[in-house]
Order: sequence, then structure tokens, then C-alpha cells
Amino acid sequence: MKLACVVHRFGADIAGGSESHCRLVAEHLAANHDVTILTTCAKDHVTWQNTYPAGVSQAGPLRVLRFPVDRPRSLHRFAEISEIVLAGRASPAEQEQWFVENGPRASDLIEYLRQHGAEFDRILFWAYRYYPTFFGLPLVADRALLVPTAEEDPLIRLPILGRFFALPRGYVFLTPEEAELIARRSEGPPAPFCIVGSGLDPALPMRGSGPPLAEPFLLYLGRIDPNKGCETLLRYFVRYQERGGPPVHLVMAGPANMEVPDHPLIERLGLVDDGARESLLSRASLLMVPSPFESLSLVLLEAWNYGVPALVNGRCSVLKGQALRANGALYYGRFDQFAACLDYLLTHPDVARQLGRQGLAYVDREYRWPQVMRKIGDFIAGCC
Amino acid sequence: MAGRQDVTDRAEPAVSVDALMRRLEGDLRNQLRRQLLDRGGAREYTDAELFALVEHVLRHAVEAREHDALLLPALMSDEDEWELQTHLRFSSHRPILGKLIVFLKRRVLLPVTRWLYEYSLENFRRQQRVNRVLFACLEELAIENARLRHDLERLTDKS
Repeated sequence: MKLACVVHRFGADIAGGSESHCRLVAEHLAANHDVTILTTCAKDHVTWQNTYPAGVSQAGPLRVLRFPVDRPRSLHRFAEISEIVLAGRASPAEQEQWFVENGPRASDLIEYLRQHGAEFDRILFWAYRYYPTFFGLPLVADRALLVPTAEEDPLIRLPILGRFFALPRGYVFLTPEEAELIARRSEGPPAPFCIVGSGLDPALPMRGSGPPLAEPFLLYLGRIDPNKGCETLLRYFVRYQERGGPPVHLVMAGPANMEVPDHPLIERLGLVDDGARESLLSRASLLMVPSPFESLSLVLLEAWNYGVPALVNGRCSVLKGQALRANGALYYGRFDQFAACLDYLLTHPDVARQLGRQGLAYVDREYRWPQVMRKIGDFIAGCC
Repeated sequence: MAGRQDVTDRAEPAVSVDALMRRLEGDLRNQLRRQLLDRGGAREYTDAELFALVEHVLRHAVEAREHDALLLPALMSDEDEWELQTHLRFSSHRPILGKLIVFLKRRVLLPVTRWLYEYSLENFRRQQRVNRVLFACLEELAIENARLRHDLERLTDKS
């Protein structure tokens, strides 16, 4: 089949969740299909500044077609429209304007889809919130499969999305919770879908020793940002220690967009490379996932891949669902639950280890590439 | 949505997260009940079963209800009259100077007072969340009441 994958940024050096998911799925699809990536020249997810050259290039088995971004994102205009739209009562025009300001606005990419969309058997679109998907998908809806990467954040409640979510020919979801969320928001008849998540290779034996750290430690891995629930995690952890919890360290590994409190039991590592990441995951007692919004937590799957149990934010239905399906993590919604779960896991290391093993078994069962690609391949070929 | 989802048969896990969480939450509920009683909370809470029912109703309202789809706000008058407006809309009624005034408000006045705006915004958002939770609690109680009334009527009819 001739397939196109539309994504707002593309490159092996781009770390975003939906971008990585698109690249990995496309690379695996290319084993059996003719796959073209339709993307922009942007690399920076804040400004969308054109960085890659426009035109055709090859990335391994993938043909990549890049289109220039019309103008960098105006953070001022974006903040202004976000305030209006996310407050809940914006007009349809204002709601649509949000997608324009969010970008990356690439008119040539949209024009390409208009003129050449019919040349592809299926066109997969990643991430509904970005310009190429929001404005491109309606032009080729009859052959469009949407990978929405939707989260339960305020954006999903925009009324104009009801019509948009009724357009795709089919859906590729990351979790059952995401499928339910879109079903609630869509105004159209039910579209066929499959739930695939993402694939993982088995964890490699640890290379090198990684950063020297006092063990045992709890690990947070990812961008340190209030939107990722880090403010709450740090507040809860400090309060837990003040209340006389066991003196366990909390290691925060990732670039920080917020202040991390100066506390003798909190270690800040900043951005870590792949080797250090593997080392941290293989040595951690527990992974902490405090994010309130997720469409699929890849870091949670990675931790399970190393047999590490987790404590996750239960207010995020995706995280709670993952924890329950895998039997690999406990979850909290309030401080007393956080403290009780942490107390239990630290004082019952045998149970914690068993949760980690169950998490690994879940990853083996559901998230290895052959299983994932079989599901998505069957869906693309058969259901639409 | 009409879709397919693989269901894999598998053995019972050695540790069930669902069962473990129910046990931990049960312990926390008892702890909370005792704390409330110690601090002079409702005497009805000496009955642990009753407390669990109350907690269940309120928790369902807070966690499970869709706070954007509630009956009470829909029954109230025009939402513009009561809903907290958390964003700023700059406008001017002056036909000629209007654009300049809006520009000055947005580019000069707002940056200077931004700290105050952001401080208030966060508090407005919190208040909005509390309002929605309270609406949801009222709705949950109203549903509970209607259900009981319905059951009572049925039982009265039978007898």
C-alpha cells in the first residue's frame, strides 16, 4: 500500500512523544509498505523556526517531504488566544484561530494534501492539536486515519472538535481511555479503530554504572514542569519527608522548566543521555509518574521494561488504566493516598518487586513491536 | 466507536493492584473517619458503613462526574451573568481611537499589571473548580434523592 504519515515535526533528533511514535511506527510500516512522511521544516516545538531544508530527503526506508513553516509562532498571540479559548466560551472562529496560532502553519503542506492526497491509499495523521492535522485531515478524510494522542486537558473540550473527530475514516488509539475520550467528544457515528500503544524492544543489559546516587531512590524521568505534575510531586514528597517518611531519595532527571526545591533528599540531574537513563531505570526502586494528562505514558512502559514498579497520578485516567491493566503500579489522587502508597511500597519491597515483574510481563504481552505492528498492519489493511 | 481490542487470556496476577488499592483506600477511609470524629465531625460517622456510603457519593461527584455536563448550571440563567470570566477581553467603544486604546491596554497596561492578573487568574481557576465540584455534589445528591424517592414509591405501590 502507498501510505503517508503527516506529523508536525520529524527527525531522529526530535524527542517529542507523538513525533517519536510517528517515526517508529512509520519505520516499521516501511517493511511492508511504501511510506512517505509529510512534515514541516520545523525543529523547535516552541517557535517552529524553519531548520531542516524544504524538499525531498530520505530517512532510512522513509521518503520525507518537508514543507516550510509560513511564520514562526507568535508566543504573545498564542498566549492571548489560549486564554480566551481555554476559558471555555470562545466563538467557533476563535477556536479555529487557536489551531492557526498553535501551528506549525505550513500552507504548502496543506496544498500538497489537497492536490496529491488521492495518490495515497491511507494517510495517517498524528496529534490533532497541530495545524497540519487539524487543517489537513478534512481534505483527505475519506482515507485519513487519525492517531489523536488526545489527553484529558482543557483543549479536548473545544466544541468545534466534535465535528472534527467525526471526520476520519478510522482511528489508531494509544489506550482504551483515549478511545473512550474521543468517542465522548465525537459528534459523528462510531468510526472503526484499533488500540496499539507503542512498541518497545527488550531492555538491554546495563551499560556502564551511570551517575553515582544513594540508593534506594525514587525516580522521576522527563521534563520537570508544573504541567507534568512535578509541582505536586515535589510538594507531596517534601511533605512526606516532613511527616517522618523513610529517608528515601527522589531523583529528578530531565530538563527543568521550574524551580526544584533545595532539599537534602532531592537530587537534580538535569538532562541525561540514553546510557544514564538506562542506568537510572535499572537501579530505581520506584518510578514516579505525576502527570495529570497523558495519552500513553511511555516512561511508565520503559520502567516496566526494566521490571521497575511505579506510583502514578490516579487522577489521570490513562495512568490509572495502565496501572490496573498491568498490575504494575499503585496510584494516588490526594496526599494521604500518595503517602500511604509510598509507605506500603517502601516497606513491602517483595510486593513492589512483584508489581515490577507484572509490569514487565504486561509489556512483553502487549507492547513488543511485532504485536504492535501486527495490530496496526491488520487494521490499515482490513478495517477501512 | 466500533473497534477491536485484543483481550488476552491470562492467569490471575500474584498481586492485584485493584485489590491492594481497595485495601489501602479502606484503611485511609477509616483513618479519615476517626480524624473527623476526633475533631468534632458529624456523630453519624461513628457508623463506619454509613461513612463509607457518604464518602462514596461525594467521591463519585468529585472524581467520576463530567464537570462540563451538569444539570444545575444548565438550569441557571444566562451563564454570562454568573460564570467566572477568567480571561481578559480588551475592547473600546470609541470608533476612531478604539484600536489605539486597545493596543495600549494590551501592550502597556497588561504587561505592567501582569503579575496581579496571573495571581488573580490562578485563584479564579481554583474557585471555578470548587464551584463545579459543588455543582457536581449537589447533582449527585439530587440523583440519589430521586432514586430513593422512586424506590419508595414503587415499594408503596406494591404494598
